[in-house]
Amino acid sequence: MIERRDPPPIGRVVATEQKPATPHQFHFWTANETSIGIGAIVRVEGVGAGDSERVVYGVVTDGFAYSDLATPLHDVVGAEGDPARAAEHPTVRQEIRLWTAAVLRQMPEEPLQPVPLGAVHVASDADVAQALRMDAYLGGAQPTAIPVGLYTSGGLEAPVYLDADFLLGPEAAHLNISGVSGLATKTSAVEFLLGSIFQHFPPHKGRIAAVCFNVKGPDLCFLDQPGALEDEDRRRYERLAVRAQPFERVRYYAPFKADGVNLNTLRTHPELVGDVEPLVWGLREVLDYAEVLLNRDDIDAKADAFIDFLSDRVVDKEFDDGFGGAHRVVTFADLERLFRSIFDGLELSARGDTWRTHHIATIRKVRNRLSNISTRCKGLVTDDGPSNDLPWGRFEDRAVYVVDVANVDPLGQDLVFARAVSKLREHLERRDLGVDAVVVFVDELNKYAPGDGPETYVKKMLLDIAERGRYLGLVLFGAEQFRSQVHRRVVGNAGSIVFGRMDSDELATPGYQVLSPAIKIKLATLPIGELMVRHPHFTQPIFVRFPRPPVLRGRDGVERFPPAADLPFEDAVVRQLVKLDRRVRPNLVKDLIADRREEDVRRALAHTRQTRPQDALAHFKKQLGGRVAPAAAMQRESVPPLNPISDEPY
Amino acid sequence: MSRSWVDAILAAGAVPASYVPDASVGRTDLEEFTGADPVEDPELRVHARGGAGPLAPAAVGFLDGIEQWRVVGYAGVTPIVRAYVAAAIRLRGADRRPHTIAEDTDELAITRLDHLPAAVRAALEGTGVRVVEISADDAGQPARALPAARAEVQRVRAALERRLGEQRLTALGADEWLVVDGVLSDSPALSAHPRALGVVKSHGAEYFAGPELERALTLPAAHRTSVFRPKRRGARREIYSWYLRLWPWHGNDLLYGLVRVEARAHPDTVTLASRLSAWLVDERAPLATPDRRWDRLLYPIHDVETYLRARAPRDLIPHPASRLPRTGS
Repeated sequence: MIERRDPPPIGRVVATEQKPATPHQFHFWTANETSIGIGAIVRVEGVGAGDSERVVYGVVTDGFAYSDLATPLHDVVGAEGDPARAAEHPTVRQEIRLWTAAVLRQMPEEPLQPVPLGAVHVASDADVAQALRMDAYLGGAQPTAIPVGLYTSGGLEAPVYLDADFLLGPEAAHLNISGVSGLATKTSAVEFLLGSIFQHFPPHKGRIAAVCFNVKGPDLCFLDQPGALEDEDRRRYERLAVRAQPFERVRYYAPFKADGVNLNTLRTHPELVGDVEPLVWGLREVLDYAEVLLNRDDIDAKADAFIDFLSDRVVDKEFDDGFGGAHRVVTFADLERLFRSIFDGLELSARGDTWRTHHIATIRKVRNRLSNISTRCKGLVTDDGPSNDLPWGRFEDRAVYVVDVANVDPLGQDLVFARAVSKLREHLERRDLGVDAVVVFVDELNKYAPGDGPETYVKKMLLDIAERGRYLGLVLFGAEQFRSQVHRRVVGNAGSIVFGRMDSDELATPGYQVLSPAIKIKLATLPIGELMVRHPHFTQPIFVRFPRPPVLRGRDGVERFPPAADLPFEDAVVRQLVKLDRRVRPNLVKDLIADRREEDVRRALAHTRQTRPQDALAHFKKQLGGRVAPAAAMQRESVPPLNPISDEPY
Repeated sequence: MSRSWVDAILAAGAVPASYVPDASVGRTDLEEFTGADPVEDPELRVHARGGAGPLAPAAVGFLDGIEQWRVVGYAGVTPIVRAYVAAAIRLRGADRRPHTIAEDTDELAITRLDHLPAAVRAALEGTGVRVVEISADDAGQPARALPAARAEVQRVRAALERRLGEQRLTALGADEWLVVDGVLSDSPALSAHPRALGVVKSHGAEYFAGPELERALTLPAAHRTSVFRPKRRGARREIYSWYLRLWPWHGNDLLYGLVRVEARAHPDTVTLASRLSAWLVDERAPLATPDRRWDRLLYPIHDVETYLRARAPRDLIPHPASRLPRTGS
């Protein structure tokens, strides 16, 4: 894993009274033609008594160049005011390349002393491992190293590893990545890192999976498809000991569109749509997270109490409405029937305005808000029929669960996020999810966990993961454009922080004051595929390059697998049944559902999908029920008409 | 050589001292000619740069030296001086960056041995350092001893430079010149070489009088005088010379920007004088600041000095930022 090289010295530490070497910083000069640059890791070897065994590693944080020109005016005088002549001077002035480096590590670590004024070498692989304290987790009986990229400088490159204990818990956890939009760096970095984690997650730490919320476009819709890689990418994969292959186990979930049969995702190409599971939630799933959907200004304590009553006493239970009606409320439709029964009962019995201590106005308000949910989140929330959910308790090792909510109403996105994360937490607490750790990838933290704005349920969930997730194995990989505008506790709890190309205005905010101007400049111009990484083991941020992820990028995926147009209702039903059972003949299905109410067809289809029977068509037919022939209108005897009125006028 | 011999004589009883003379003023001509014979013109005239293009040699070596010394001890009133001299040639090629191609240094003790107590003398001789003696008369009076020591240091430095320059001449390329800071006429080899040039910044000697002197000292910028031949005296070799004004002197001093160029005594020198002058005028830039003599000091020569000073023993130079009061004498 580590290659030893012995690079020649490239510089020498210098210290003056004005710029002394300290235990945390030093300065060195190099030849004008040098491969050293901002972010380069160097090794200083001590010389002389007391320092001969001392080795100091540092990372270049700033650079200076100047000549022996005493004042710019002298250059003007020398060139007689003509800038063109300045370049024609027979002798080039003496120049210096002076660099400032921050100490990464001193060996021995005690006593901590100023950096010796020794020779400076370019760091080798082994030096990089030592400098970044990676030796602590690269070797040993149970290594926990996760490749994150290649440190490159001066023609040398060395793999950089993160410590799984500090990336995925329990010592620290979470990763936050910032960068400007449009370069695909953030998504690519997370895709590469997830692949690296899946291949290098230490066996002794158990099983791991990832849940990725696709919140925009086709970003995460093709993780199972191979993407185009260049030779340089393949070389980097080889150097990092990561196999360049798409994810082997990817499960896609997307809600339906409003028609209830076409999936609301960009992964609808006929070759791929078969892998997409519908995400459909019913009353039970929604009611537990009603507070996500209901406006807190609108729903008061009384309404809250009534919702709790419904959830605890009514839903999924045999319930007597007090007016002689027995209910078993499972769906929104059942709930609507209960509400009607209550209103009719109160009206007919004249028992006043209160039912089971709840005022009728409160009941009407809750009914109004709840029934509105299925309208606003149509496709995700079903009025009737069974739900279809993520495989809670059956999560597979090294599987990615992509929940595509890119085209879902923001309210629906909140619901999906809140419920999925809550369920993950519940199962991880009970240790019955099927895996020991889950990485939750959420993009657009500026939207979901802003530093200001109202306290939303989603923000609370993200804070909860950030602050307590590492004990459970619930790890947040968050991405955003402006780190300064994300809630401080969300980003502050991220043990590992990654920066892509940054906006200059963002870099001017106080959170980046610890970075030197040179580092900021580098961040503002960082090319695609290069990142700056902060990790608990690294005392200074490190620049790394990572290969292009081996999966199809979203925009390429849409070109190669263009989304299919929405199918007519009958065709969409056929496709879903064929997906369940390839023997299903389309014409039979179409005949079967002809003239049937769409909600009945959807209910039967959902039930079939949930049951997954051997004979899908038969099950579907049974659920659909028999066709009820329209009753012929009864012939009524009527009085024969009078004789036609005579044409006579009188 | 290190301070070890200084420690030895102090241990033997010499009284420690620390006197650093004023910064070396550079090598002045130890002895100068007086008077000159016309060569190019019947009398000294002023020549404009004219249309002659500057000489543009492919490579130029620049030779300069430094001297540093300080009084490190006294035996009675006899000073014991530690001196360091160094010289180097830095070659400027097509990349326009000077690189060191030759370098030599020497360290010596300057005193009067028979004025030292036996123990100190034995200690000094035992260290192996080269000892240069000043005259007995000079050694008896500190006011005379220190100038005598300075003269010895300058002499050693001149010899070092001369030796280095003569060595380089044997390897000088066909399109390579050697520019020496100071006179050529100390050395038979240098003064006779077709591609050696001396640039003299100090003007202690007077070669002209009357109108010719006025023409020489009031040269306009980028103008030169006629080539003349300084009159020989002593060991000096025959040489051709001319004055050249690098910067306008109006508003400054008569000697501002004025150098005297030396080249071999040969008709080709007269032919080349204008082109050589144009080349040297081009060498005005970059300015040799912050050196106070920048108006006459060519930057590559300044570069050699900077190089040598950077490599000189640090304990011979008072720290510019020292907070301690400077010692006097």
